[in-house]
Amino acid sequence: MIDVMFRALGDLLSNPQTMGLMLIAVLIGLVVGATPGIGGRLSIALAIPFVFGMDMTQGAVFLLTMHAVNGTSGQISSIMFGVPGDGDDAATTIDGYPMAKKGEAGRALGASITASGVGGIIGAIVFAIMIPVLEPIVLAFSPAEFFLLAILGITFIAFLAGGENIFKGMIVGLFGMMLATVGMDPQTGTARFAGDNLFLWDGISLVTCVLALFAVPEMITLAVKGGSIAAISMDNVKFSYRQVFNGVLDVPRHWFLALRTSIIGALIGMVPGLGGSAAAWLCYGHAVQSSKTPERFGHGAVEGVIAPETASNAKEGGSLLPTLFFGIPGSSGMAVMMGAFLILGIQPGPAMITQHLDLVWTLIWALVVGNLIAVTFLLFITRWVAVLTFINATMLVPFIIVLVVIGAYVNEGQWENLLILVGMSMIGYALLRANWPRAPFVIGLVLGRIAEESLHKALDLWGMSFFTRPLSLVLIGMIVATIAFAIYRSRKPPAFDPTQVSA
Amino acid sequence: MNTIWKQLGTACLALGATAGAAMADDAVDFFKGKTVNYIVATAPGGGYDSYGRLVAEYMQRNLPGSTFVVKNMPGAGHIIGTNAIYASKADGLTLGTFNTGLIYNQLINANGVKFDLSKMSWIGKAASDPRVIVIAAQSPIKSFADLTGQKTPVNFATAGLGSASYVETVMLTNSLKLPVKNLTGYNGTDDQLAMRRGEVIGSIASRSSYANFVENGYGRFIAQIGGNDKDLPQLASLVTDAKALGLINLVQSQGDISRLTAGPPGIPADRMGALIGAYKKAMEDKELQARAEKLERPVEPAYGEDVAKAIATALNQSDETKQLLAEALKSDKK
Repeated sequence: MIDVMFRALGDLLSNPQTMGLMLIAVLIGLVVGATPGIGGRLSIALAIPFVFGMDMTQGAVFLLTMHAVNGTSGQISSIMFGVPGDGDDAATTIDGYPMAKKGEAGRALGASITASGVGGIIGAIVFAIMIPVLEPIVLAFSPAEFFLLAILGITFIAFLAGGENIFKGMIVGLFGMMLATVGMDPQTGTARFAGDNLFLWDGISLVTCVLALFAVPEMITLAVKGGSIAAISMDNVKFSYRQVFNGVLDVPRHWFLALRTSIIGALIGMVPGLGGSAAAWLCYGHAVQSSKTPERFGHGAVEGVIAPETASNAKEGGSLLPTLFFGIPGSSGMAVMMGAFLILGIQPGPAMITQHLDLVWTLIWALVVGNLIAVTFLLFITRWVAVLTFINATMLVPFIIVLVVIGAYVNEGQWENLLILVGMSMIGYALLRANWPRAPFVIGLVLGRIAEESLHKALDLWGMSFFTRPLSLVLIGMIVATIAFAIYRSRKPPAFDPTQVSA
Repeated sequence: MNTIWKQLGTACLALGATAGAAMADDAVDFFKGKTVNYIVATAPGGGYDSYGRLVAEYMQRNLPGSTFVVKNMPGAGHIIGTNAIYASKADGLTLGTFNTGLIYNQLINANGVKFDLSKMSWIGKAASDPRVIVIAAQSPIKSFADLTGQKTPVNFATAGLGSASYVETVMLTNSLKLPVKNLTGYNGTDDQLAMRRGEVIGSIASRSSYANFVENGYGRFIAQIGGNDKDLPQLASLVTDAKALGLINLVQSQGDISRLTAGPPGIPADRMGALIGAYKKAMEDKELQARAEKLERPVEPAYGEDVAKAIATALNQSDETKQLLAEALKSDKK
């Protein structure tokens, strides 16, 4: 086992052609990831014709690296302009953008890029460790557990709002859950709140909502206020690699959090059915809930950047597991990947361990090396990228708004989403002006849908008795503990007054 | 004199032939420098997308000077994309692919349908996708007789309510009076995982989507609808009820015409000729066949009129069948 493991690494590093392909893949992956609205899934689908005729290993390494680094660059626009590329990145926006406003874009980018890399690598390690116990763990999670996990995530809303804002947080969260019911009812096949508008049948577009709620209100504020995103002048920052490096060091400073969220992310990725955005949001919620000073979140807490980024990269390693060893993809991106694997002559299934162990290790190493290349490259260019936050609003805002509109349209290719963008943007701006939290909305929207679908399935399968499944009881215990903790904490005065920083 | 007439006659014939050829050439020339939008009515990745991209790539090669652009228009179970294809300009510059199962939606006048499949311009179909009844490996059910003999209902997984997978499963399980409880909402490969977990024991699905699952030893096929493989009994041979046979037939006709390519109604005949010609050359291309083979999705093409006829036959159901179809859907609603 050990010799196969290191032989795979040696083969990967010593083959200039494979390494060259990996470099290209990293670059494509980063560019696609940085463009709002285009997901990693599309990039793999488009790349498939190019891997025809490639060697099995090289083709697989190429596609996997491209996919794995996708999440690493999405955070750039989330942090710098508050424009998240997709649902996962939105979690990074909540604290990343306030950091940019404080002139700490370099630090936020340093932290988030490093966190992505660390997450990706820990994800690969979890992958390697989990191979022997994959089956019992993956099969332990049924719709009953999905439902309770979603509810657990929703209870985190209580911490996101903090203190007296708890009711505001709940209202916004419930609003998100309410919008999650738009679309085809999974149980009766009736279109809810959609009428004849076919584009609503699959539910409200998450990407559009996220752009409307986070990006547009921030841009309006910036346009009204004038000046630049960073509230302080560039001369005061002494912008240098030192700030970026400070951000890099934030990850080891919060190493325990980074480790936990990476593992949670990888586990969520491993269990098909929860979806990618859930990982980032659950981990963001976990960071807030486990923090001693949850009031700082939403106002530029670096942990709020580290947690979702580690999670979203770690889940890639996780989601590769069921894809490779069961032939059952763990995410929509992996479903496309599996099609590509078949083309390359790789037959995913349990025989992978016995017949293609060398390939499995090569892929694990590709995840590690690919993440390292991406992190190094991004950290190198960050210095110049971060300067953009000092550009005057009159030049920046129109450009960003165009980017937002394109992102909202391209994601599903339906112009009706632009109407939703406008409507939701107004709500987003109102929330921002009234100083209400916006993150609970996305949690409600993402997890509300999962909760509803899995509740129906669980009730169909087991009736009410699903609550007494052993794993269900554990999760119920966690939910009760979270709520009790939230009540206990809300009675304690906050140790930090957010109003002093948010100006 | 006589020879002059003869010569003139030959000349006329030759002219006529050239003119005919020129007309077809005109149609092929029409696509020179033009962009053809190829709409895939579902998200990137998966069967429709891979077939769509293959077809578009190879049709472009066989229509010199043309550019095929694949556009994914997912949503509402292929209805959004199909509505868009149907409503597009009939100039031959918009084509697309969608789920054959939309035949069911049209038969029962489902919500949201703004197309009439019988009127569309059919270019061809790329594959046959026979359906199978698949049972999880850990279940004691080994044959169709075992399944019908179950005393208590067993759980079957289907995709979202109203999807083609759902319609077929409910229709067949109800008309065959199988002791099965259908659980909805298992989209994508959720059903395979659910069978691995054991919460459901079976599914009625397309054979290609379960080939890998069965090869890995997670399940077994117990009956098949359509298809040329001889390793399984045909479901029709296990059933005697006439109504049920009618519905099995309907499902089989769907399976036979899979991975369609069609355009809006009324594309001019000469352009249709050019498009069908390019489609045929694409399907006969050894390279395309090899690529499809690797996806475990072999090519079994049919073209133009043949597909149009098959669609017309599938749509031409007796009121009784339509009634059964509607009832099958209704009686399962809670």
